[in-house]
Amino acid sequence: MFDEMFGDTEGYGRQPYDKLCAWLEEQDLKKLSKKSGAAEELFRRLGITFNVYGEKEAEERLIPFDLIPRILSAKEWQMLERGIIQRVAAINAFLSDIYNGQQIIKAGIIPSEMIYNNKAYLPHMCGFTPPGGVYTHVVGVDIVRTGQDDFFVLEDNARVPSGVSYMLENRSTMQHMFPELFTTHQVKPVSDYPKNLYNCLCSSAANKSDNPNVVVLTPGIFNSAYYEHSFLADEMGVELVEGADLEICDGQVMIRTTAGTETVDVIYRRIDDEFLDPLSFDPKSLLGTPGLFDAYRNGSVTLANAPGAGIADDKAIYSYIPDIIKFYTGQEPLLKNIPTWRCAEANNLQYVLDHLHELVVKEVHGSGGYGMLVGPAASKRELAAFAKKLRANPEKYVAQPTLALSTVPILAKTGLTPRHVDLRPFVLVAPQKISVTPGGLTRVALKKGSLVVNSSQGGGTKDTWVLGA
Amino acid sequence: MLGRHGNNLFWMARYLERSENTARLIQAVLHHALSREDGGIAEWGQVVSNSGNREVFYSKFDVISTIHAINFLLRDKDNVNSVLSLMSKARQNGRSVRTSLTQEVWLSLNESWIACESSLKRPVNIHDVPVVLEGIIKGSSLFRGALYGTMLQNDIFNFLRLGTFIERADNTLRIIDAKYHRLLPTAKVIGGSEDQSQWEVMLRSLAAWRSFNWLKKGRLDPTGVADFLIFDARMPRSVNFCYKQVHSNLMDLSILYEKEYDSGRMAQAFCECLSRDHVRNSHKFDLKSFVTDHIAKNNELSLTIAHDFHLNNL
Repeated sequence: MFDEMFGDTEGYGRQPYDKLCAWLEEQDLKKLSKKSGAAEELFRRLGITFNVYGEKEAEERLIPFDLIPRILSAKEWQMLERGIIQRVAAINAFLSDIYNGQQIIKAGIIPSEMIYNNKAYLPHMCGFTPPGGVYTHVVGVDIVRTGQDDFFVLEDNARVPSGVSYMLENRSTMQHMFPELFTTHQVKPVSDYPKNLYNCLCSSAANKSDNPNVVVLTPGIFNSAYYEHSFLADEMGVELVEGADLEICDGQVMIRTTAGTETVDVIYRRIDDEFLDPLSFDPKSLLGTPGLFDAYRNGSVTLANAPGAGIADDKAIYSYIPDIIKFYTGQEPLLKNIPTWRCAEANNLQYVLDHLHELVVKEVHGSGGYGMLVGPAASKRELAAFAKKLRANPEKYVAQPTLALSTVPILAKTGLTPRHVDLRPFVLVAPQKISVTPGGLTRVALKKGSLVVNSSQGGGTKDTWVLGA
Repeated sequence: MLGRHGNNLFWMARYLERSENTARLIQAVLHHALSREDGGIAEWGQVVSNSGNREVFYSKFDVISTIHAINFLLRDKDNVNSVLSLMSKARQNGRSVRTSLTQEVWLSLNESWIACESSLKRPVNIHDVPVVLEGIIKGSSLFRGALYGTMLQNDIFNFLRLGTFIERADNTLRIIDAKYHRLLPTAKVIGGSEDQSQWEVMLRSLAAWRSFNWLKKGRLDPTGVADFLIFDARMPRSVNFCYKQVHSNLMDLSILYEKEYDSGRMAQAFCECLSRDHVRNSHKFDLKSFVTDHIAKNNELSLTIAHDFHLNNL
């Protein structure tokens, strides 16, 4: 087991952590853990909460915040950053190809049924190029680590990745509580993110005006990520709209304001494809705006991310990403994928069934850590039940080896104790430039031994530091 | 600004004002009840009836008692106008317009909500009532302070203020309406300490007891009280004061949006009526119909504002 603070052996701090370890030596950990309660109190007062679906309406929960930062050296980050940019560039090239020309299918790299039978594939997008050629303006690439130099991409989030507000709030909380640590560490700033996001969205505006009207589109206050939607709109200084605030007038998207209506140029939408427009997609949806998709196809408005981008982050397509990178960039992938068995293929299914107790099996269209089997942690009965589900619908599942995810200590009542983490860096894609905010959101499984880091299932977060050179 | 956000701001301010007014009313009636031998039961009965939720109350309790009335007004979830219901709605509106509020304004609202939710989680004991009421009123003051101290005085501010003063005018009018017969010049004939204590409840619930006494040097007379609560432009809860504010905020919006509105004209007509001396001094001044009339007009103005500024165009 690789611990990012202590390395493989207990007792010696790894280099990026040496100053932090020295500081921790001087602290009274009991007092420090009390401070952790103060941080959460601050979050509650600020309303930094998320809603859990299925619980009663008023239920707003806090995401637990751990005070011990997760630290990456400049060199580690450089490597990650290059790999992420390469990967995200390939994902955009792939989306552009899938909806225009399908060279990758013709070249025999990806079987056509993988695309056409996929729920995330949106035929409405065929033959259309989004403004500036950008499909995924905002991407979250989930990365896990198993050793000193072993990083893997766990999954790509190309639809509506969330969590960036926690990255920003975690940093400002740490700066508020431990200013002294930022005088001894050269931590790369993250606070430019909202400004960069705004510029990124403006640069993909359909109408090339100097001052495009950008809005954030939210499903509303009961959505689990509502806090983030309002936070980003606030930080960018743009309106936070709901579907019913929009109307389509002569093919143009307008917002209803107190002084009449106003044209909208860019919609940073935080609602899923199928809810965007009841005329083009789910007719039962009350969240969307009738006619929005037509306005989009007419080129009068930019949607970020583009509808149909989900075909690139699907868990079955994930296994093809290394080939996708090679196909579009002509380079070897810089970041590794986790070996993945697509259960739809007969010999893979057999292997997965034979090794179920040592694998992680995920639903192709699942998210949030739901519907997932962690083989080594499952009982015999759970394994048998899952095998039955697998045989019934093998195409719905993929399997991966259970990785020994790296740990970073958290501050528990008993002192420092290791917990598994992952990392979601946030990537912005503008027509000519891909950039990654240094660090990202570190999620940590607070339960001992647990590998599930999702906030809806008992995960917490940490501030993530990338050190200067 | 989005029409929906304008609506959220307007109603957030109304709900907050209403919850503060409810707390003040409970304070005033409690003060009255504790100073009487009969426990002021009649007064609680009237307050519950005026809350518009009489049936809800009597579906739960056969008879009125101080502590049941207080808990009903403070925390009953079936009472849409209980402080807890109002605060919950105010905060929900506030969350919807989080981007329109400064951090300090949002914090004051959210903290008031958290405090309110925790102090009203369980039925309130009579012993704790004064502290709980003070907490609610203090939260409201903090919100107002943050509003004036940190918000841009733009249309967001105007819609908040409109909500506050429309609600406040309504509250003052309703308090007079409930006791108008005590304010008629003929009430003097009845006189006695009973009437005095009724005026006191009225003035206290509008935070005007001390200022009235200061101005009138303790001379309580019914026309004086009515005049003070309706016409006195110095009194922050008088109808006249509220309409001056409503009018001025509507004028700001007119200038900002470069347009004249029906609501602006209506508010102006109200202001003119309230500042004409012959109205207040006329011996034909009919308090009862003035008040009933203005409650209806106030509601009409609220609807006109919603229409003029597309607050409900979903």
